[in-house]
Amino acid sequence: MDSWLLTLIIISPLVGAALLLLPRRGSDATIRWAALGISLITAVLTVLAIAAFYADPPTASGDGFTLKAYVPWIGAELRDSSGLDISGNSPNIDIAYSVGIDGISVWLLALTAFLMPLAILGSFTAIRTRVREYYILLLLLHMAMLGVFCARDLLLFYVFFEFTLVPLYFLIGIWGGPQRRYAANKFFIFTLAGSVLTFAGVVFLAYYAYTVRGDLTLNLWTLTEMGKNGEIPFNVQWWLFLAFAAGFAIKVPFFPVHTWLPLAHTEAPTAGSVILAGVLLKLGTYGFCRLSIPILPEAAFHLAPVVAVLAIIGIIYAALAAWVQEDVKKLVAYSSVSHLGFCMLGLFSLKVAGVSGAVIYMVNHGLSTGALFLVIGCIYERYHTRSIYEIGGLARQMPWVAFFLIFFTLSSIGLPGLNGFIGEFLVLLGTATSATTTDMKAAGPLGYGYVIPAALGIILGAVYMLWMCQRVLFGPLKEPAGTPDTSTGLTKDLTPREIGFLVPIALVCIFLGVYPKPVLDSFEGAITQNILHASAEATVTQSDETQLEQLTAAAEGTPLNPPLVRGEARTAPLDHGVAESGDARVAADTPRGSNESGASEALWRAGP
Amino acid sequence: MSFLAQTDPWAGIDVGEQLFAFSPMIALICTMLAVVTCPLLFGRGPRPIAIVVAVGVIVTFYLAMRVAGVVSTGAISGLSPGGAGGMLIADPLSAGFQIILMVFLAGIFWLWWMGSAATERNAPEFFILLLGSALGMALMVSTLNLLLIVVAIETASLPSYAIVGFDKRDKAGAEAALKYMVFGSVSAAVMLYGISLLYGLVGSLNVADLAQYVATMGFHTGESSVLLSVGLLAFFAGIAFKVSAVPFHFWCPDAFEGAKVEVTTWLSVASKAAGLILLARVALTFCAAVEAPLNMQFLEPVAWVIGIVAAVTCTIGNFSAYKQESVKRLLAYSSIAHAGYMMMAAAVFVYAGSPGYTAGLTALLVYIIIYMFMNLGAFGITALVVWDGGSDKLDAFNGLMRRAPWLAIPMIICLMSLVGLPPFAGFIGKWWILVALGGLDSTLGWFLVIAAVANTLISLYFYLRIVVRMVFAEDQRAAVRAPVGGIALVNLCALALLLLFVFAQPLKTSAEQLSRGMYQAVASNTSDSSSARVADSGS
Repeated sequence: MDSWLLTLIIISPLVGAALLLLPRRGSDATIRWAALGISLITAVLTVLAIAAFYADPPTASGDGFTLKAYVPWIGAELRDSSGLDISGNSPNIDIAYSVGIDGISVWLLALTAFLMPLAILGSFTAIRTRVREYYILLLLLHMAMLGVFCARDLLLFYVFFEFTLVPLYFLIGIWGGPQRRYAANKFFIFTLAGSVLTFAGVVFLAYYAYTVRGDLTLNLWTLTEMGKNGEIPFNVQWWLFLAFAAGFAIKVPFFPVHTWLPLAHTEAPTAGSVILAGVLLKLGTYGFCRLSIPILPEAAFHLAPVVAVLAIIGIIYAALAAWVQEDVKKLVAYSSVSHLGFCMLGLFSLKVAGVSGAVIYMVNHGLSTGALFLVIGCIYERYHTRSIYEIGGLARQMPWVAFFLIFFTLSSIGLPGLNGFIGEFLVLLGTATSATTTDMKAAGPLGYGYVIPAALGIILGAVYMLWMCQRVLFGPLKEPAGTPDTSTGLTKDLTPREIGFLVPIALVCIFLGVYPKPVLDSFEGAITQNILHASAEATVTQSDETQLEQLTAAAEGTPLNPPLVRGEARTAPLDHGVAESGDARVAADTPRGSNESGASEALWRAGP
Repeated sequence: MSFLAQTDPWAGIDVGEQLFAFSPMIALICTMLAVVTCPLLFGRGPRPIAIVVAVGVIVTFYLAMRVAGVVSTGAISGLSPGGAGGMLIADPLSAGFQIILMVFLAGIFWLWWMGSAATERNAPEFFILLLGSALGMALMVSTLNLLLIVVAIETASLPSYAIVGFDKRDKAGAEAALKYMVFGSVSAAVMLYGISLLYGLVGSLNVADLAQYVATMGFHTGESSVLLSVGLLAFFAGIAFKVSAVPFHFWCPDAFEGAKVEVTTWLSVASKAAGLILLARVALTFCAAVEAPLNMQFLEPVAWVIGIVAAVTCTIGNFSAYKQESVKRLLAYSSIAHAGYMMMAAAVFVYAGSPGYTAGLTALLVYIIIYMFMNLGAFGITALVVWDGGSDKLDAFNGLMRRAPWLAIPMIICLMSLVGLPPFAGFIGKWWILVALGGLDSTLGWFLVIAAVANTLISLYFYLRIVVRMVFAEDQRAAVRAPVGGIALVNLCALALLLLFVFAQPLKTSAEQLSRGMYQAVASNTSDSSSARVADSGS
């Protein structure tokens, strides 16, 4: 049932973009409202998808996905029509339009569908030139982002992943700030540089799946199973991990390759920044979470300390860099780099708690940072500057702005009771308990040593964000000459439209801060089934315990055991690396002690 | 041994059937003759010539379709490679290429009709030359006889030289034509020299015999191996010239910049495609004849040579395109780079050798078709812009998004497709080449994967320069006035690129069938003509 719902969600912005092309004489206002309406339709469809997800949750015996649709794209037709007629020379190819959502992607999908109408609403007055093209590009971007979170085929994933580049390139390059062309080019070339390496990895993985399975398949489910069964030898995983990381790390953006982001953020129009921070950066972490960790578990385990160290350097470095920014938008951009470091740290704790934390951190960061960019956009529209030194004491002039800026700042720095807290807490918890042992072997790759410097990043985050609030909102009133500019119909403080797009985000922030359980609940199944696919679920599925107790138990009680049954003869040419990796992981080869994990593993294997 | 055939070519062969098999080429020749006579009857105006050419192209297309239908079942005996002792071959590959060539020629014709027809005073001559080069290309893919290969390449080249410098008042065109001709003549001479060596060594002009010689005599037999290597290298130089592979690419940018845009478009696709298919046919013949362990000695080095030339061609093409200010020249270098990508596919099937790893040939065929749409679109838009503003500099594209959105949008699609970004067909083309390379699982394969991927990245930059000019640059010039037919043509190309992405499978399936058929045919051909060897290749 409902298997076309996701397709409808992905297609709806595309159809909308085509509709916007039609009325050649339509006024700008018509186009704005039409774009908003289209994005709202997508949002409504997404709500239906969430409802369907809860009505028909993925079962433990399935592959963890629901609302699945599968249409052969390349290859399957060939197999059907001529069957065995195909000589052994050309592989059967299974590359399909295959979509579905699990407990993780449903919330990222929801985040995307939620932020886009608000971003569109936020551009009503800011965008005054080439209005039609602007909204068409936003809708195309919308389609690509929705597609990434729904894709269950690696090539489809890559197609959507890459396609996000093109609309955003134009959004930054046409409607951006003074350095927009440089920023747009840097953004495009940086991200494409990484993703062509990812593409090489995709090709290799497809080929490798062919040597192991006899099918040239990019079906994520099959690939995940290969990762789970240890059909990919360690040194292949290692190289593939690097290839994937090249694309995803640049997108995240991860510490040494983050330099495009502050520039792109500063130059992008408000909606571009909102989408960039809110959703696009998540494509990188989502890629790690959906591809690198489940398909390449051993390499992820092996390289996790490296990733974690880089993440921590990123957290602290970006926090320090944010501290000294003069441009408010650049400050928030650096804070994104810092926060995404937390996401990476949580992901690579390879613990249910840490990964849950990382995923909810993605959602929260999208909400708070997106909202911060919207608030800053409101200020910029009135004052035409974002320099901390040129504006000050705005709280008296614009109490609504002051309220929202402080609110989202607090949410961003993780005040308990607001959404940021739960993610930070779980990430640090997961990291700290990562190395906890149960049966005398190291379980996760990280440990307490990683938590302390990361926690320092939280303090720094509070420092620079609050410092920024103080400079902008309080103290003596400072306004550049001739401002606030109300010539475009804006009032001195926020207009009802602007309050209208900030309030929903604030409400969601409070809701997630107070009661994150429904979201976290849906993560667990997805993480244990599709991401870590170890035997953690046995200890975390009791539903009557409280959320944190469950997660703590999960984190402490169960090790991550990357499966180590290796592919046999076929992997021979690539086998020498396995030996050297072997001793590090040999302990994990021993059979596990607990009956629950055995049972759950049997459940796993019963899946399709 | 006769020059022309080993046996009486007419023995036991239905002449009507033979004529039918070559009817597309005969139709092309008839069209040329009609174009010659047309001015005598109806004057030199473009309209009657255009009607004659259009009819000729349609008839040729129809005949090629008919032939393709017949040869796909092997109904014409003695012509499909089984009878490669003859001069000409009619098989699905040649018929398929002729079909594609006619579709492309129709596109070129349409472009000409939109842009140049009104001012063209020498339409008959123009079309005689254009059809002549088309005939040469159709011949190039229909033969395995060394002599006829030379004749075909010259038939394709000589009119091309003239057509590049067609406007004799245009100095750039004249210079381009001269450069083109000098390079062409030298490489033709080198090729002939190589062929003379090969003939002296083997005693036959048939490539199948040559391959057989390598298979039976081996490659490392004293001085004859030196002779063989020099002969083969010189022979491939002629093909490399047509493909514009490094270091035989120098004619390409000058000729492309100096020629009229229609002609540039024609040469950028048709000439390269014909060269590549000829290369494929020759390589397949060698692959089928030369078996392990000889292929380790012989085919692997050849594959490495082709692969390295391909990688270098790509890299040089892309890097040279960086600084170009003329869009035609930029696209010329881009076409050199794309020749490199396609040669990578050729390296695949040479490397894979006789057992018939069809992925390489399939990828090549798919890429050629996709490349045709990409280049027709990109050059077509360039043509429309040049006709409007009189300049092919990057500046002419400034603000095109505002001045002519229906040219700018397809241009973005074509350029992004040339980069190989999804969701455009160029991505599919690259994907199959990379899959074929990866499937080799060899050093060569992965080396070429890295080269292709790195080149994709390099190429992004200069394609993006055009996009930047079109979209970001402010320009107050008036809207571009372009003929509706031209706009329709380029938008159709862009649409085709989108559709070939979404519906990637049918193209792949037919290319796959074609290449599988080729492998079987070539295998059976070589096993027929050789009694000294156990025929177990192919299937």
